[in-house]
Amino acid sequence: MTERHQAAASRLLEAYASGSPCEPVRDLIDGADAAYAVQDLITQRWLSEGRRLTGRKIGLTSAAVQRQLGVDSPDFGMIFADMAVPDGEEIPVGAVLQPRAEAEVALVLEHDLTHERHTVADVIRATAFALPAIEIVGSRIRGWDITLADTVADNASAGMYVLGTRPVPLRDVDLRLAGMVIERGGEQVSTGVGAACLGHPLHAAVWLADTLARIGRPLQAGDTVLTGALGPVVPVAPGDVLEARIDGLGDVRAAFAHEAPAPQEDM
Amino acid sequence: MNPHLDSFAEILDEAALNRRAVPRLTDTAALDVPSAYEVQRAVIERRLARGETLIGIKMGFTSRAKMVQMGVDDVIWGLLTDAMLIESHVDTADLIHPRIEPEIAFLIDRPVRTPADAVDAVGGIAVGYEVLDSRYEGFRFTLSDVIADNASAAGFGLGPWHRPRDVGNVGMLLEIDGRTVASGSSAAILGDPMRSLAAAARLAEAAGIELQPGWVILAGAATAAIPLPAGAHVRVSAAGLGRAEVTTR
Repeated sequence: MTERHQAAASRLLEAYASGSPCEPVRDLIDGADAAYAVQDLITQRWLSEGRRLTGRKIGLTSAAVQRQLGVDSPDFGMIFADMAVPDGEEIPVGAVLQPRAEAEVALVLEHDLTHERHTVADVIRATAFALPAIEIVGSRIRGWDITLADTVADNASAGMYVLGTRPVPLRDVDLRLAGMVIERGGEQVSTGVGAACLGHPLHAAVWLADTLARIGRPLQAGDTVLTGALGPVVPVAPGDVLEARIDGLGDVRAAFAHEAPAPQEDM
Repeated sequence: MNPHLDSFAEILDEAALNRRAVPRLTDTAALDVPSAYEVQRAVIERRLARGETLIGIKMGFTSRAKMVQMGVDDVIWGLLTDAMLIESHVDTADLIHPRIEPEIAFLIDRPVRTPADAVDAVGGIAVGYEVLDSRYEGFRFTLSDVIADNASAAGFGLGPWHRPRDVGNVGMLLEIDGRTVASGSSAAILGDPMRSLAAAARLAEAAGIELQPGWVILAGAATAAIPLPAGAHVRVSAAGLGRAEVTTR
């Protein structure tokens, strides 16, 4: 079985290395646990290369996406320091395979969350502040042809992320009714609300805290948690500049570099 | 008025009174947008002749998605009468195939002579809901059909008025019997409901109608419209604006 998991991990790592998407890996994976085992093989590889884990992302938090994949639970992936892009700084073409963007609430923790079961109160007490975030998701799997097993193995389709820069304490924002809008060059491309993320972004965080504690790798002080999309995901193209605004949290931008000019062949 | 257009108004008015859907007007006749608005006005005149009074304007097609779906690049509008105001109950048997959607509403408290006056004329902002009920079979229509049908207006209700404030990106929920059935941001209303108000003032001016103190402007919906079931409790809420509720029979 481990051999098949290794094969799945290798297929995904090869897509990262070559910059060209691979075939789905579901043929090598039986069930969600196996998919997380594949994700973990990749995570261990990256940690051994010296990458610094900065937190987790939560995926599949909207009812529409869960229906689409036929699941009734979210999933999670790993986020690393080198996936973080400063607000508005250009993101090179190809940095994320098959990129798409979504606006999310990021929580930054100041306490560990080590209980077997957590309450919303535990998460509120452990949260230092919230930030607006744009997550640039991507898929190493060709054409985003994914099942639950594919996306979980593929680090929950994580790519890069941009955090806003003004921390907001949870007492100052109503995350359930916070409006969200994404604009591309001033044109509205997505709208949503906090409640679209599992009813409340903090509910997603509670799910994550419980899930990670259960597998023995609890959330820790300093971790960033990307809690999940507040509205429809947006396809992105080279040259796009997206601005996301979350009411009460502020705004944040993701700027994608223009395609490099094609090499001249005549002359 | 062209007697042809007046007969269209009669068809639509009777459809509402008899709660019987009718075929689209454009199935059998050509109807351009200016003529469609003439039909709309004639439908309203019939209501006014029965003792109803005008109390505001509703805006439609205020979301990008809806404009693309209908192949239009401007909003449409309809007229609201006092008989459409819902206090706390609505009987779905009085309607053909009602839908409901969460709205941002503006209360006008000074006459609006030009579109530039509109923002300053706002005395209050509320969350509200609109009950839509197309008089056409299958809730299907062309642009001209829906304009003639008073933009599917059937009823509306309002939460408490609040002082004017920024409502450009407030979260909105539509709940039926306590379960969220639709959610979104007021930003879906032309990027900011205030723009919808300005568009209402522009269209009203062009039509020779002055927005009056006490009128309500329904700026548009933050989510898709949801079928309104009988025997249900419906609640809409918006960040900072509280909620509006209606019980259906």
